Amino acid sequence: MPNELPLVVEDLSFRYRSREDWAIRSMSFSVQPGELLLIAGSSGCGKTTLARAINGLIPRSYKGELSGRILLHGQEYTRAPLSRISQVVGTVLQDPERQILGTRVLNEVAFGLENLGLSRPEIVAAAEDALKRLGILALRDRETFYLSGGEKQKVALAGVLAMKPSILLLDEPLASLDPASARETLAIVRQLADEGMTVLMVEHRVEDVIHMHPDRVMFLKDGEIRYLGPLSGMTEAVDYHHIKLPAPMVMERAAADPPPAPVTPQPERFRTAAEQPSAPLVRFENVGFGYDDEVRVLKGINLDIRRGDIIAVLGPNGAGKTTLVKHAIGLLKPKVGRVLVDGRDTHELSVAQIANTLGYVFQSPSHMLFAPSVQDELAFGPTNMHHAPEQIEAEVREALEIVHLTGYEKNPPLALSFGQQKRVSIAAILAMRSRILVMDEPTAGQDYKNYMDFMDAIVQMPSFEAILFITHDIDMAVIYANRVLLVNQGTVVRDGPPQEVLADAELLRGNRLVPTSLLEENLKHFPQTGRLLRAEALAHALRPTV
Amino acid sequence: MLVTWRYRKRKSLIQSFDPRAWLIFFACFLASTLFFWDLRYLTFFLGLALITVFTSGITWKEMSRAWIFIGGFILFFSFLTFLTGRGGMELYQSEHLLRALRAPFAIFGWTPTLNITAERTMFSISMLLRVFSIASMTILIPYSLNPGLYGVTFRGLGLPDKIAYGMDLTMRFIPTLGRDFTQTMDAQRARGYELEKLSGGLAAQIRKLAPLVVPVTIHSIIGSEDIIDAMDLRAFGVGPRTWLDQLHYRRRDYALMAFGVLVLMVSIALSMWGFGKFWVPQPLLDLAVGIL
Repeated sequence: MPNELPLVVEDLSFRYRSREDWAIRSMSFSVQPGELLLIAGSSGCGKTTLARAINGLIPRSYKGELSGRILLHGQEYTRAPLSRISQVVGTVLQDPERQILGTRVLNEVAFGLENLGLSRPEIVAAAEDALKRLGILALRDRETFYLSGGEKQKVALAGVLAMKPSILLLDEPLASLDPASARETLAIVRQLADEGMTVLMVEHRVEDVIHMHPDRVMFLKDGEIRYLGPLSGMTEAVDYHHIKLPAPMVMERAAADPPPAPVTPQPERFRTAAEQPSAPLVRFENVGFGYDDEVRVLKGINLDIRRGDIIAVLGPNGAGKTTLVKHAIGLLKPKVGRVLVDGRDTHELSVAQIANTLGYVFQSPSHMLFAPSVQDELAFGPTNMHHAPEQIEAEVREALEIVHLTGYEKNPPLALSFGQQKRVSIAAILAMRSRILVMDEPTAGQDYKNYMDFMDAIVQMPSFEAILFITHDIDMAVIYANRVLLVNQGTVVRDGPPQEVLADAELLRGNRLVPTSLLEENLKHFPQTGRLLRAEALAHALRPTV
Repeated sequence: MLVTWRYRKRKSLIQSFDPRAWLIFFACFLASTLFFWDLRYLTFFLGLALITVFTSGITWKEMSRAWIFIGGFILFFSFLTFLTGRGGMELYQSEHLLRALRAPFAIFGWTPTLNITAERTMFSISMLLRVFSIASMTILIPYSLNPGLYGVTFRGLGLPDKIAYGMDLTMRFIPTLGRDFTQTMDAQRARGYELEKLSGGLAAQIRKLAPLVVPVTIHSIIGSEDIIDAMDLRAFGVGPRTWLDQLHYRRRDYALMAFGVLVLMVSIALSMWGFGKFWVPQPLLDLAVGIL
């Protein structure tokens, strides 16, 4: 009987009150019990809106025009209170940081059960059950604040599972996790589906979730379902430039297309000149740091950033990556040793002085955007550095072109989507025209096509002598870096060319990294290609021999 | 994610009580202190505060920043009170001049003069003592109250579920705001922004604070929306709520509350009988060289 299906969506459309366009249009589909459905699509495709409609935040928290029906186990819940829906549909949000309310793990997991007014023994039993199911009972009495990113994600999941929903909805749950934590989360989700739970997973990096073998994939574009079926059939329906597909799939498709335009990283031109040893741009000399006396966040760091370097900093959550790069711009000063920027000790320089040499893009755009227009936002840095007005105009224009936001000059940055805000925050630093660019997780929360495009443009900018970025995405290191720094537990575990560092599978595993299909393809063909390439380029490089 | 104050479990007098009992005692202490201007009575309250501070088990290193900030603030305003005598006018009609310090110069015929009087001196010392006692007791609370128990504490004090949980979130919101402020400050400094170099008139200076104030405000608003969603998605506010943690009053808690209430009653009674008003010691008055 179709009525007993856990989820039936009939002709669902929704338009946010403040928008003119419909976010989703006439969507109809149903989900089988125990099915794992992957919902993919680039930002603005309507996947988050669909998720909000299913978990009831639409129309309760997000107002607008809603039509169509959603049936949960044959019952219409469109007008039911959120409390009833939340017992059927459990939702795990993108960032566990934004979902965790309790200060202690047990209280966090118990939160929903407390709200349902169950008795204390029932609450404790159900919460411990959920913790056990995810293998994290040992965390029961820990403070949530001190958990790692992966642990936080599991605790958030336990808090949802404790309420015993029959449908689990995960909205990009991997975005803030290191690759090993992401794999663990996926394995758990697969297991839950195997045990009979219906799982809807929203994720645009298809490559990353392929290992959990989704039963079906739904591909959304412009608020409509463009494909719904098995994963194997999806490659035909989607553009591999927009959705990150596994490398072999991309290579197969790309071989038939014209070869991609070559990307020539500009900092590398300094590299040939730098064969004769030049002074390093940034030098770490035996740097040690801790936030209080006992904790050593960084230990004995020795590091030179030289002209021509494009460095990817990899490592697990909490390894000290951000602390390390904050030393380069003087936001943190070493407790032991010293950091030199252009030969000068950061102890003697103000952050503003260092900013002339080194531009730093923070992880979260919401910590820096303030201006009434994108134009003003981008002019802020260059104005602080006393650039001439006509120069600032050119810098702003060029920065906007790079991040694909030309035409948004007059828009208030705070009214843009998260992905656009992130690009404004990058452009704001690009406009400062520093000689070194440092980016903390530039691709987080971004669309595949968008971040590939701006990374292409950034490495081709003539003004940068060196680029350094922190990432969880090994493919970013494969495609863009000429040097990889592996950081773990406050030390540099390995520093070398990507083809050497990333080829060491043992080393990667030990640092919570998981080889991607692109890395594997590259390593397999390295004797032929002699360098690491993106999937499209790799397909063409191998063409004569294929 | 909301961050918490620097609470740690310590062996201390303050943490040996139920948090509800302590908050009730704290409220009584606060109200009682405000009845007095007499230095002799205020010494009693200062004594209570100091006993609590010194038995709190919180090291100077942990508290130093809070103390320096609040202590500096109190000293500055007490000194200002001493210079101007402002605020004390309702408590005394005449002033006994101890010494008049006259500037050795005149501005347009006006010679700046500082009149040191017995009343102003005593008033600023009493003021210092009052505010210092209250501040000392208040500083201890974030260090000594387990953040995991905020909600159930307020619930236990009789607030309804929703308001008690709201108070819990509010208490944790303040340190979160502090963290956001630091992160924003860092992000803007990396764009060449220097707070130290603010210039221009007051309006211009406030405008130049926008790079700090706007992101922190927006971040708080977005953060609260996330919290509301997260709470809604887990059935918050649908009916009477169970609080997993339980608090139990023990004999010492009743004793503390009784003591707090007693202090408050005695304070009310004393002040109704006219005790504890502004007091200037006779020897100081004897030193007077004139009356203003």
